[in-house]
Amino acid sequence: MTTGPAIFAENLIKRYPIFRGFREIILKPLGRRTVTALDGLDLDVGRGRVFCLLGPNGAGKTTLVKVLATLVLPDGGRAMVEGHDVAREPGPAKRAVGYAVSDERSFYWRLTGRQNLEFFGALYGLRGRARERRIDELLRIVGLDEAADLRFNGYSTGMRQMLGFARALLADAAILLVDEPTRSLDPQAADRIRSFLREELAGRQGKTILWATHDLGEAADCADDIAVISRGRIRLRGPAASLAAGGRSSLRQAYEQAVNESEEKP
Amino acid sequence: MSGEARRKTSGAAVLAAFLRRDFREALTYKFSFLSSVTGILLSSATFYFVAKLVPAGVPSLGPFGGDYFSFAVVGVAFAGLLGMFQEGLAAVVRSAQLSGTLEALLVTPAGVPTILFGSSLYSLVFQVFRTVLHLAVALAFFGLTLGRVNGAGVLAVGVLTILCFLSVGVLSASFILVYKTGNPFSWILGSVSGVLGGVVFPVALLPPWIRWVSSLLPVTYALDGMRKSLLASASFAEVLPDVAALAVFDALLLPLSVVFRLAVRKAKKDGTLSHY
Repeated sequence: MTTGPAIFAENLIKRYPIFRGFREIILKPLGRRTVTALDGLDLDVGRGRVFCLLGPNGAGKTTLVKVLATLVLPDGGRAMVEGHDVAREPGPAKRAVGYAVSDERSFYWRLTGRQNLEFFGALYGLRGRARERRIDELLRIVGLDEAADLRFNGYSTGMRQMLGFARALLADAAILLVDEPTRSLDPQAADRIRSFLREELAGRQGKTILWATHDLGEAADCADDIAVISRGRIRLRGPAASLAAGGRSSLRQAYEQAVNESEEKP
Repeated sequence: MSGEARRKTSGAAVLAAFLRRDFREALTYKFSFLSSVTGILLSSATFYFVAKLVPAGVPSLGPFGGDYFSFAVVGVAFAGLLGMFQEGLAAVVRSAQLSGTLEALLVTPAGVPTILFGSSLYSLVFQVFRTVLHLAVALAFFGLTLGRVNGAGVLAVGVLTILCFLSVGVLSASFILVYKTGNPFSWILGSVSGVLGGVVFPVALLPPWIRWVSSLLPVTYALDGMRKSLLASASFAEVLPDVAALAVFDALLLPLSVVFRLAVRKAKKDGTLSHY
């Protein structure tokens, strides 16, 4: 295991090309327009910490998560997970990170939950009895052991989300990336997922969790550290205990101030 | 990280997992196999009756054994197989974009070429099975006339053809990964090959002013070599011109397969991996 932060980013830059119409392509064939998603972002997340990333829509949360998961290549700066540069060493970086893809379309709907995990387990290099044991263990941890042999298309949204966590945990990576894990869930299912992440994964298993969310209450309740990202940069960060010391309203006030300042002084 | 997770992903084990996944999915579509077999029967029956309109001894069929039904069945069966090799990879990339599984596959440590090939492996294996079944049905029920089969010719033409069409398939998949639809390789090679590649009639029947286009298409040599090896009792020396032409196509197209890595890189750079 390497020393230093579990996740580290320095001057991270990402600009996406903007779709250009035929007229613009004809008039300016060599022109290029971009939108900036990450604008020199710096970040470090300590080992075993639950780090909540708060920010408005389009702030850069999902881009940051996808850069760390090696799905998006940065245009500048560097990002490291467990000491591996995500752009230069994507192989080791992938093994260091479990990405809980929140899109339920990322599973094979006509296969059972277990069959989905068997397939993805093979892609993570798990084989034979070891894979079966790991899948049984994960299904039990996420509470899907009784529904394991039902087809994925029969799962509720909460069960699908839980299977996403099981898949992300197949490789037993030290870091877990989660992007809005409680989106479109009913309050009880959302609470189950929050306590699963906080108590099971962070508390018992000691995972480092980078958790992108819009929900200030979720961050106040679950995070060790909170950062506010806006316009591609971290605008505010600190221990949850201090940022949310005065309750959710004080966190809301700090959040709104950070976002407003970023819009006034980008 | 556990010892098990640190274990390197084995290509063979990953390919087996893709095969098992797709076989399991195929089992959930109960009538798929039945409709496939029915299609083969109907296609064979159609050409069986069309062949009755073609008199024996047509000169253009001479190099292929002289029987139109056998000529057409081999053409249709192998064109289906080649079409799958040419378009199957692009189809699985498109399907993974639309179904949303592409990102989930690419965050795993499995290599990109393994993921691409593995995703299409079941379709390719199933299409090989369909081709064999097509020939078996034609042989058993419709009087397909095989010559003295040249095994070495079939093998050489088959392997070189597969490599050639897989290379085109990789180019198509690369295009789809970046531009999502409108694959020009499929359009140019797919539609032109059907008319000018000699699938259901010999290219010798084409007017000379357009026949030269046939000589630029790999499907022309693939079907020519396969028919001569299966139907006309040709020696290896007789199919050597087809083998040589396919080898030239392979030499030109195989190195271009590297473009898939560049396409993945561009999609990651543009942030469009999950777009469709």
